[in-house]
Amino acid sequence: MDRIREHRGAVVAVAIVVGLVLVLVLAGEKEALVIGVIAGSAYGLLALGLVLIYKSSGVFNFAQGEFGTIAIYVLYLLHFRVPYGFAVVGALIAAVAMGVLTERLVVRPLFHAPRVTLLVATAGVALFATSVEIWFGEATARPIDRALPTLDRFSVLGVQISDQRLLLLAVLAVLAALLALFFNKTNLGLAILGASQEPTATELMGISVRRLSTLVWAIAALLGGLAGVLAIPEGGGFAPGALTVAFLIPAFTAAVLGGMTSLPGAFLGGVIVGIVEAVGTSASVFDGIPGSAGTLLVFIVLLAVLTVRPQGLLGRRS
Amino acid sequence: MTAVADPTQGAADVGDDARQWSGPSPVGWLARGIVWLALAWLVLVFPLGRQAFEVQQYSEAVIFGIIGLSLNVLLGYVGQISLGHQAFVGIGAFAAAYVVSEQSQSFWLGVAVAVAIGGLQALVLGGVSLRITGLYFALVTLAYGLVAERNIFQIEEFTGGGQGQPAPKPEGFSTDWRYYYLCLAFLVIVMWIDWRMMKTKGGRALLALRENPRVAATFGVNVKALTLAAFVISGAFAGLGGALLAFNDTFVSPETWSFNLALIFVIMTVVGGLRSRVGVVIGSAFFALIGYLLDRFPVLQDALNAIPGAPDLSAEIAPLVIGPLLLLLTLTFFPGGIGQQIRPLQGWLAGRRFDLKDRGPKEVQITDVRA
Repeated sequence: MDRIREHRGAVVAVAIVVGLVLVLVLAGEKEALVIGVIAGSAYGLLALGLVLIYKSSGVFNFAQGEFGTIAIYVLYLLHFRVPYGFAVVGALIAAVAMGVLTERLVVRPLFHAPRVTLLVATAGVALFATSVEIWFGEATARPIDRALPTLDRFSVLGVQISDQRLLLLAVLAVLAALLALFFNKTNLGLAILGASQEPTATELMGISVRRLSTLVWAIAALLGGLAGVLAIPEGGGFAPGALTVAFLIPAFTAAVLGGMTSLPGAFLGGVIVGIVEAVGTSASVFDGIPGSAGTLLVFIVLLAVLTVRPQGLLGRRS
Repeated sequence: MTAVADPTQGAADVGDDARQWSGPSPVGWLARGIVWLALAWLVLVFPLGRQAFEVQQYSEAVIFGIIGLSLNVLLGYVGQISLGHQAFVGIGAFAAAYVVSEQSQSFWLGVAVAVAIGGLQALVLGGVSLRITGLYFALVTLAYGLVAERNIFQIEEFTGGGQGQPAPKPEGFSTDWRYYYLCLAFLVIVMWIDWRMMKTKGGRALLALRENPRVAATFGVNVKALTLAAFVISGAFAGLGGALLAFNDTFVSPETWSFNLALIFVIMTVVGGLRSRVGVVIGSAFFALIGYLLDRFPVLQDALNAIPGAPDLSAEIAPLVIGPLLLLLTLTFFPGGIGQQIRPLQGWLAGRRFDLKDRGPKEVQITDVRA
């Protein structure tokens, strides 16, 4: 009985997902469902980074989306000169570099500052990155090719899925497994978890919490970069601040659904948010709402979770 | 750090090494008078001799001051951050424009409606999310800003669609110069309200609340009601700022109110100096005028363009590039912002000695921006 109570959040989360899926299939919104799950995976990818950073340093990282935008810009610049695969590697390196720089130049000097100060600082980083993109690349939208051009080889529930989207799903599945392994089996992963829960005790064990912090920011930036590199080409183009504008709020909502601390929760949250947004965009019920109803629905989900269940679906009450 | 202290304390401390300083000499008064006159000339007379489009920029700087003060109520006094303030300002702008253009009512009614809607929005959003504080509140306001951008500003009847909503200047204030003085008057009123507000029991309770909500609650401060009240006042100021901006540009477009603008609002308040009215107004005016200053003084433009390997920095992007850098500098090295730096000058102008160590009775510390 206790075990069930302990995992009640997980049960609720899975029930919500299954419920959403059933309703959508019955209502004939299969396209919204499939598209939503895949878009949600990208949100989940970004949300994983948000949760990692929050767990390790208690910071709401508003620059998380810009890690992805920087990656897509570098990908765009490189893919004219080198093969696409190398360009992707270069893009990810750029994202990681930005993550490490942010940690070193912004987060570390403010190590003892309150968390809201750090939030303002990371928001400043996001604005700076966006403005540098406008400064050097003008405010125009640019086209970018997919890594895998084939569009209609596979279909699920009668909805055709491009190879790019499958790639996104595959990368996410592999990453989720790797992260789970990393945090449960490796010394480094355990050290990061320890530092997030008991920094003082971790220091006493001879582990440098600050060095771990850099590593966490690098991993989070890598996740953000992957989200940018994999999800943006599907849409065909990007503009300055692309991921901050379109991905950051859904990703944060996903992370909040996971209680800001649970990695599986953040991923499940991403899928839920993705479906909700896709339904809001496509379902005819919401035609009366001006603009994209998806944004409004995500906002309502965010408010509802924060007021009703602030610890998230999978988070523990602290 | 003491929350509330006697403002004359600083002057009294100086007396230690100065042996009974009995106010400025006649020459000292003369010098102060000259500086006061120069400042008054800059604000009141100087714009008279400028071109209309320049005066419009000055008006915008004054209005940004009002918006900065609006954020200061939230960020400085309560310690909550709003990343969706562009929504409050934008909705105020559209509300005022709508009342005047679509309902053909008077300017004053438009402004009143904008103020009321600003306060009402804050009441509703704050009422729903009152138990959410700190980081999560920032997130909620950010998401609200996005909803305003994607949904509220897409209502065609309200915003006039892609063309935007016209907002003609009011009768009697139809020239840019007259409108500038109107904005100045509003800024003075807002500063006065802000000043009086912080002198009331509620205002002092607010400061205590920001220091430590639990201790404040123990002393009988109604934390929730006060936080909500401050949020409503902040929203009302923001609505006023929006309405004035609308008539200044004689036109409101849905594209103006982006996330970048929200961040600029936060940055100008923090850089201006939390809880320093004068500092916040100067900081806000500076950010409103960066583009103008670059146009006006080619030397500055050349200095920026001399950055090797970078394209020319246009007047629109300049605040976006300079802002975050100034923000990080302020957060790391000068938490008190401009307000703290000009503090000795302020004291001197008020008839005290020029004291470089004067940091004010309510020194801003890095720990001040917090949940």
